[in-house]
Amino acid sequence: MPYIEFKNVVKEYEMGEVTIKALNNANFEIEKGELVVIVGPSGAGKTTALNILGGMDSVTSGKVTVDNKRVDKLKNKELIKYRREDIGFVFQFYNLVQNLTAKENVELATEICKDSLNPERVLKQVGLKNRMDNFPAQLSGGEQQRVAIARAIAKNPKLLLCDEPTGALDYKTGKQILKLLQDTAKKENMTVLIITHNAALAPMANKVISFKNGKAQNIKINEKPVPVEEIEW
Amino acid sequence: MKKALVKDTIKEIKNTYRRFISILLMALLGVGFFAGIRASSPDMLSTIDNFFKESNVYDIEVISTLGLTEQDIEELKNIKNVEQVYGTYSQDSIINIEDTESVAKILCVEEVNKPLLKEGRLPQNENECVVEPEFLESNNKKIGDKLEVEINSTTNDEGEEISFLKQKELEIVGTVESPLYISRDKGTSKLGSGKVNYYLYVNKENINATDVYTEIYIKVKDSNKYITSSKEYEDYINEVKEEIENVKQNREESRHNMLVDKATEKLEEAQKTLDDEITKAEDEFEKANQEIQSGKNQAENGQLEIDKNKKKADNQFASAQKQLNNAKSQIQSGEEELKAQEEQANRQIADAQNLKSKYQTDLSSVVKGIEEINVNYKQILEALKNPNLQENQKEGLERTKKELEKKIADLEGSRQQLESGINQIDQSIEYAKSQIETGKQKLQDSKEQLTSQENSLQSKKQTAYSEIKNAQKTIDESKEKLSQGESELKNSEQEFNEKIEEAQEELDNERTKISDIKTPTWYILDRNSNQGYTSFIQDTKSVESIGAVFPIVFFLIATLISLTSMTRMVEEERTQIGTLKALGYSRRQIASKYIIYASLACVLGGSLGMVIGCQLLPRIIWMMYSMMYKIESFVVEFNWLYSIIGLIAAYICIVGATIYASLKELTQNPAILMRPKAPKNGKRVMLERIPIIWNHLTFTRKVTVRNIFRYKKRFLMTIIGILGCTSLIVTGFGMKDSIMAIIPNQFEKVFQYDLQISIKSELGNKKKEDLLKELNQKEEIERIIETNIISGNLVKNDNKEEVQIIVPKDKSELEEIISLNNEKTKQKEDIKDDEIIITSKVAQLIGAKENDIVKIKDSDEEEKEFKVSAIVENYVGHYVYMSKDLYEKEYEKYKTNVLYVKDKDLTQDEEDRLVKEIVEKEEVSSVTSLETLMKTINDMMSSLNYVVIVLIVSAGILAFVVLYNLANVNISERIRELATIKVLGFYDKEVYNYIARETVILTIIGIILGLFAGYFLNMFILQTCEINALRFAKIVKPVSYLYSVLITIIFTLIVNIVTYFSLKKIDMIESLKSVE
Repeated sequence: MPYIEFKNVVKEYEMGEVTIKALNNANFEIEKGELVVIVGPSGAGKTTALNILGGMDSVTSGKVTVDNKRVDKLKNKELIKYRREDIGFVFQFYNLVQNLTAKENVELATEICKDSLNPERVLKQVGLKNRMDNFPAQLSGGEQQRVAIARAIAKNPKLLLCDEPTGALDYKTGKQILKLLQDTAKKENMTVLIITHNAALAPMANKVISFKNGKAQNIKINEKPVPVEEIEW
Repeated sequence: MKKALVKDTIKEIKNTYRRFISILLMALLGVGFFAGIRASSPDMLSTIDNFFKESNVYDIEVISTLGLTEQDIEELKNIKNVEQVYGTYSQDSIINIEDTESVAKILCVEEVNKPLLKEGRLPQNENECVVEPEFLESNNKKIGDKLEVEINSTTNDEGEEISFLKQKELEIVGTVESPLYISRDKGTSKLGSGKVNYYLYVNKENINATDVYTEIYIKVKDSNKYITSSKEYEDYINEVKEEIENVKQNREESRHNMLVDKATEKLEEAQKTLDDEITKAEDEFEKANQEIQSGKNQAENGQLEIDKNKKKADNQFASAQKQLNNAKSQIQSGEEELKAQEEQANRQIADAQNLKSKYQTDLSSVVKGIEEINVNYKQILEALKNPNLQENQKEGLERTKKELEKKIADLEGSRQQLESGINQIDQSIEYAKSQIETGKQKLQDSKEQLTSQENSLQSKKQTAYSEIKNAQKTIDESKEKLSQGESELKNSEQEFNEKIEEAQEELDNERTKISDIKTPTWYILDRNSNQGYTSFIQDTKSVESIGAVFPIVFFLIATLISLTSMTRMVEEERTQIGTLKALGYSRRQIASKYIIYASLACVLGGSLGMVIGCQLLPRIIWMMYSMMYKIESFVVEFNWLYSIIGLIAAYICIVGATIYASLKELTQNPAILMRPKAPKNGKRVMLERIPIIWNHLTFTRKVTVRNIFRYKKRFLMTIIGILGCTSLIVTGFGMKDSIMAIIPNQFEKVFQYDLQISIKSELGNKKKEDLLKELNQKEEIERIIETNIISGNLVKNDNKEEVQIIVPKDKSELEEIISLNNEKTKQKEDIKDDEIIITSKVAQLIGAKENDIVKIKDSDEEEKEFKVSAIVENYVGHYVYMSKDLYEKEYEKYKTNVLYVKDKDLTQDEEDRLVKEIVEKEEVSSVTSLETLMKTINDMMSSLNYVVIVLIVSAGILAFVVLYNLANVNISERIRELATIKVLGFYDKEVYNYIARETVILTIIGIILGLFAGYFLNMFILQTCEINALRFAKIVKPVSYLYSVLITIIFTLIVNIVTYFSLKKIDMIESLKSVE
């Protein structure tokens, strides 16, 4: 039994009279502690898959299992509990609470978790030791994304989901962020999923899942992932 | 306007219908409230105006203290602009039905003040009447039933007592409503309970006392052109009133002269009658006197005669006595003589007796000898008879016989001699004895004669004197009688004189009374003197004042709401604006979308508000007032003026806010606009600098605090919204509290007496004392305090207010029943000897302060200056308190006319009984019971509950719209933040709390501020619509604050529940997908 299993997942959206199939029988498996990169063109269904995995969206049909938990069967409250305890989310646009300092943004997450990590330690870990008391507006994009990552990691989740975490960042900063994610996954043995449309990033992952037309068309396993620093794109 | 933009606008409305509706609702509330409340006052005015016009209600009323005559009517008819003059009659009466006694005012059906027929028909005959519908209801009567009225007789000009009505048993033929009595309160009466309970219309034919009219009603030409109570109307009527003022004096004097003439005539007649009577009586007395005099003379004569007779009798009796005395002395001398003779005779008799006894002794020896002889003789004879006798013996016997015989014969002779001697002696003794006897007899006889003479004299004397005595007695008696008669005569003369004097005095009194006949006073009144009308007009004014304040609150909030909503909308469409701008649309074109959006919401909402407001609010307000007034049809007119003003105001507020919001964005260049707006930066708040507090806050609290300060506009809006809501509710309750508090404040705190008895002014001191004594003896009464109350005007500068001047007989006593507490310090004030105390409201109205000099203008228009020593608490009416000394110094002699009575905790029934007992006394002109007064006012004020409800409902709508709108803005503005925390795994409740905690804190702040604001708004409104005669208590009860808080919380809760579901519906994916 794999740690994460996506089996025959179908997700349909009703857009007026048209029904769009965002996922059409998607199947993949992920093992614990793997760093997975999901690639594919826009509209291929990668974000939908991530959302479903993150407990933010429901499936139309199919089976989603995370650590022996049937996520597709969870009710609203259980879903929230799942998000709260098992999932860490990193967004493209950071989604920090503007009114809270870096540390407070992390605390916002740790406040509600049982086995949370020390926010200050996590922030130190992401390299923001000196920016803890700054408001998001006072931080650069990279720094903001670090806060977002710190916020996600601090929850000590089973699964770290990142949707285009470098999409809004420049090359250098993006690289730093990816490195942070890769290091974290390795150090904490955390299962990390990163969505990107940049196929060049594929070598950094243990597993690369390529999405096309709502399906996981190609699943490639890197026996030896390349450290991000070594990847150029 | 380009097509694309129109379409865009319409789509925008569809998509953001909540925002649209909230702006629409605010416009609706603002315009609706403004137009509705503003229209209420004109609607009320139209209602009464229509009613009065239909009923042909008077413009001017003239009453006079001595009635009005036909001539008065003629004179009034000649005045310019007077169209019609109606003279009519009215009088209070008592109606007893079963056990209840009620006071009914009897009026005549006239062309003026036409009663509105509700049922049946108007009275056509003398014995018919119509009543008000309530009368039938409360007395269980129906049309066709009969009733009987009791009316005090009235005095006509000739001074005769006559009945007011011809027929007192009346058949009810219908029910009506009188335009003269639109309020439930029908004024006071001198009868019964002192309050008029009903009115009753009779046919004019039924009036008996038609000497003078009790009222004259005047319709002014073309007065119907104006709306009643409008300035134009008042001015127009005042002109005519002034004209009437001009003839007033003349008419008053003419009425006075007429009454004086009539009274003088009557008086002269009475004087003549009295004079005649005096002459007649004097004659009679003269005659009686003469009679007594002659009787006296007669008695004198009789006395003289008696005296004469007595003297004569005395003389006669004296001489008779003398004779008798002579005779007595003769008898005495006779007696003495007789005694001497008797002695002599007795001596002779004794001599004779001696002789006699010698003789008798001789005789007895003789007799003895005879007897001895006889024995011998007999022996001889015996012996002779013996035939055997010898002759010798015989002879010898014979011879002895013969010798014996001879001896016997001798002896016999001596004996005879002796016996004749004895006889002779006896005879002479006898003779002497008889001689003495005869003398004695004779003496005795004359003695007897004397005695009898004496007796007869005595009896004669007695008779004579008793006769004299009787005569004397008769005379004495008649003398007595005469003197009695004389004194009687004297008495009756005196009595008569007294009576005459009295009668004369009375006549003289009458004469002075004639000179005292006051010139009557005409009162020229207009509709403002009608209690119902005035209070109605006053109420329309209050409604108007309220209408001036409340809509402002709504407009203000509408502006703020539109400002936040539209700012938010413009912000949301920033990119689009930038795009349009980049495409080359002008600023105006771009802004027009938002302006159209806001305008549509505003005009739609405003129009709806106009219709609903103008139709609904006047009706709700009317509902409140219809409890107090009996006016049938309420006129609801669509008030274009106020509607348009309201709409324009709302338009300016809402669209103005929109323009402001859009211009702020539009001035920026497209490049900046197309970039996402930098989210509002986080900032540290003041509180963080206070570590003691900040460090003790939980994390979520810190977030809340920071968020509150982050969104200042919303912070302000929420607080204002809640503040508005709370303050409106506080005001609603506060108004009720304040107005209701007047009653206990005035009638329990200030006035502590139970009854106020007015005594008739003409009552003399004696009667007053009697009344007091009688009242004091009543068990129910604890205390009676005498005082004098007069009316006057308190004047300062140009301000004038009517006041009651209370002058207590004993100022220390007054404290027991009226508390004079300083308005500010609440300390007790004493009435000073040379200064006055005035009540707070009148002080405020005329602008007087402590130690100011004010003037009191009395009914003779005379002004006197007084110094104000203190201003005291008072809630109903205006009073001036003055000491007796000051009164006597400035005015006339002190006289009491009012009794304040404190009773001994009576039940209502007991008090009613007491009131009835007192009011029936002829000395009493009216009795007012504070208890009853309080009840009436309380009933009247129960309609205030509707004010409270209206305010609560509008406050609720306000709170809802504001909070809901804000919650929406809040959510839409922070949707990413909310989506983020949802993704982070906040439970629904936690998400809700994340937002709601802010709302709760703001609500609490809003409520607290709202309580203060409510207090001040309440004060302001009370100030604005305070009636001149009243001092509202201006309080808000603690429990009202509590209710206000609770109600606000309930409204907030409702909005929060809605918010909860909106939050639950937030789509995380959609919200996080893109940059805003």
